[in-house]
Amino acid sequence: MQTETWIAITVAAIGTYALRVGPLLWTQRHFNKHKVDNTEARLPTWLSVLGPLMIAAMLGASLIPKAPSSASWVATAVGTFVTALVWRKYRSLGLPVFCGVLSFGLAFVLLA
Amino acid sequence: MSRASNNSGLKQGVIDGLPLLGGYIPVAISFGVIAVQAGFSTLEATLISVFIYAGASQFLLVTMVAAGSPLWLAVCMTLLVNVRHVVYGPNLVPYLTQSKAWPYLMHGLTDQIFALAHTRLPQLDDSKKVEWFKGVSMVAWLSWILGTALGGVAGESLTQQWPVLDSVMPFALPALFLVLLAPKFSNKRWCATLLVTITIALVIALGPFKNAAIPFAALCGALTFYVLTSHIERKQSHAN
Repeated sequence: MQTETWIAITVAAIGTYALRVGPLLWTQRHFNKHKVDNTEARLPTWLSVLGPLMIAAMLGASLIPKAPSSASWVATAVGTFVTALVWRKYRSLGLPVFCGVLSFGLAFVLLA
Repeated sequence: MSRASNNSGLKQGVIDGLPLLGGYIPVAISFGVIAVQAGFSTLEATLISVFIYAGASQFLLVTMVAAGSPLWLAVCMTLLVNVRHVVYGPNLVPYLTQSKAWPYLMHGLTDQIFALAHTRLPQLDDSKKVEWFKGVSMVAWLSWILGTALGGVAGESLTQQWPVLDSVMPFALPALFLVLLAPKFSNKRWCATLLVTITIALVIALGPFKNAAIPFAALCGALTFYVLTSHIERKQSHAN
């Protein structure tokens, strides 16, 4: 690979890391300043609301099957329903995901 | 979600990260295949996964480089796709300890790690938080790197041999997001906001502007939340 391409990849890597770490350091400094002043630091409401909303948006975008077809869409609905149902009963992390993937796979194989 | 168990932080992190493998490995294999087809060697593709470590933007970068796009434009587009990460760190700060390790660990702050950390960190003892983050992010990072290498070496034959697994395993990611989000469906305002966000993201991701789906849907969700909150406050003030 050419040197220029490596430079581009390095800049992209440093830039991506900066996007992850920069806002964290800035907010940590803001919180520490409040701690020194003995006042309570809080995230702005819009920022704390955006956290769960980013997860919701990731859920929406990831619901699209890799190879969209009627079988894979029905399997997605089955998998989502089973995941929610198992989570409601057990309130854990691994088991609902496992049952969701299993039910998605079974529905996909049976319907395909 | 249940409270974190008595496992050590590192072990708990590794266990919590296991569901990510179903989503990460097939996508990483696909990245390895595409990067090699685009003219990168397996080593180069793997190094991109080691250092950039940001799913969608890696696909964009290698595709643009292979298509002969100007390199500055490829870098700008990569960073534009990754700009959503700026809200992740600040949202975790209230749950972080004073450890100096956090800035270094942020290389591992992907979408999925953020979703896990945002739910899990508030439940953990402070003494376990750094180790937990190391465990969960190492599982994700290593699976991404090894998946890319595997994709570069034998990706095409793997996906041809097990096409069903290739279609089924990625469902682990929406299932994980659903489980992480489920406790938030606690009142009508949050239910409506989350459903609007999920639907908008789904609709946009079906179209040609896939990379805009997450930030745009989150902004629409924030607007919905704001409108509903104002409506509720107005109703309460009328009632008084």
